[in-house]
Amino acid sequence: MTDILDAIVAAGLTGRGGAAFSTATKVKAAREHRATLIVNACDGEIGAAKDAWIVEHHLHELVEGAALVAPGRRPHVRYAAHRGSRTAAMLHAAGLHVLEAPHRYVSSEETALISLAHGGLGRPMTKRAPFIFGGRDSQGHRIAPTLVLNAETLWRISQIHRNGPDWFRSFGTAADPGPRLVAIGGHIVRPGVYESAAGVTVGELLDLAGGLRPEVTHVGVGGLGGVVLTAAQARTTIWDTAGMKAHGGSMGPGLITVWNPAECPLETTARLLDYAAGESAGQCGPCMFGLPALASDWRRLTESPRPEGAQALLRRVALLGRRGACAHPDGVARFATSALTTLEPEFAVHAVGACSARRSRHAQYA
Amino acid sequence: MPSTREPRPIAVDRVLCSGHGVCAQTLPGLISLDEWGYPVVSGADPVDPQDAALAIKLCPARALYLR
Repeated sequence: MTDILDAIVAAGLTGRGGAAFSTATKVKAAREHRATLIVNACDGEIGAAKDAWIVEHHLHELVEGAALVAPGRRPHVRYAAHRGSRTAAMLHAAGLHVLEAPHRYVSSEETALISLAHGGLGRPMTKRAPFIFGGRDSQGHRIAPTLVLNAETLWRISQIHRNGPDWFRSFGTAADPGPRLVAIGGHIVRPGVYESAAGVTVGELLDLAGGLRPEVTHVGVGGLGGVVLTAAQARTTIWDTAGMKAHGGSMGPGLITVWNPAECPLETTARLLDYAAGESAGQCGPCMFGLPALASDWRRLTESPRPEGAQALLRRVALLGRRGACAHPDGVARFATSALTTLEPEFAVHAVGACSARRSRHAQYA
Repeated sequence: MPSTREPRPIAVDRVLCSGHGVCAQTLPGLISLDEWGYPVVSGADPVDPQDAALAIKLCPARALYLR
């Protein structure tokens, strides 16, 4: 029997929760430190749905993947889902050990789940060293070695085990191998979870769900920690690491949200930034104060679009990176920067007292 | 316990940091404060071990550590 770790290395599997870190590296470290496993099935990002889809349709393979990775003869595996969610109910019904995360954006973050599993409040922890090695939280409480993998990552491991690395690599590109799930939602005909792979355009992904409607102006890729594309950019942008990086983003946790063209995109962004600010766990000063300040800077800029306002916003964004225990402020900074760039023509329209969404609404009902 | 002899970059435990701002005094040039008094660490260069040890010792929140 071949070792699953060798198969994961050969397949080139990367984490499907958003960070795209090498799964083999994590699994190897977990074995060395005899880490327990937490399966992240929280669908933590706004618009995410693939974890629930896997639990609903491929639970057996998910459990199989977890058993392959978790070390020890009787592995200790916990399945994380938001408290009271349908996913949690399905996991409970299957008799699995469910770790119920609070209804907060950041509570599905890796270290927040580890904190919760250790009797903490389920808030992100400072990673002085990776918790896969074990360590202590900021208050000095001991944290046992813990590995957190996304539900799709484990599902892929079970598929690699069954079908082999060559099968896995027959999907996607050499740089971004393997099939991957994408949750498509928002202003689209058939929202849902679709199986795809890197190398197609974002527009082609959206075709799976009925395609971009002609009135669509903008598309969000990756949720609150993602980027904003115009409909035209979406049609030509390649869905892979390099293609998304060109727009400051990544394939992230695999989700695309088509923005409602009847709502001003500056307002959509403002709403998302307000939400992001409210979802700070309130632990780290730069996030607790920086995100609400960013949200109000954005609103001020939409009310009176001026270059100085945009400069102030960028200065604000620069103070969010790598200054939190988790990457929530980094993600929101990325989103705000992308929105500022992509929506520049929209600001120009607003500066003369108009709004393209209002125009399209008038056209729609004329 | 990591050795303090070798110069290593300094980091802030953001969960513990409550913005006393002492580090901006103990490590001037390396750490400045944002508008709310939270440290902004410039760069990830190793810090002189003696300077680092003093800053770590004097942080009221015990939030500074070596990476």
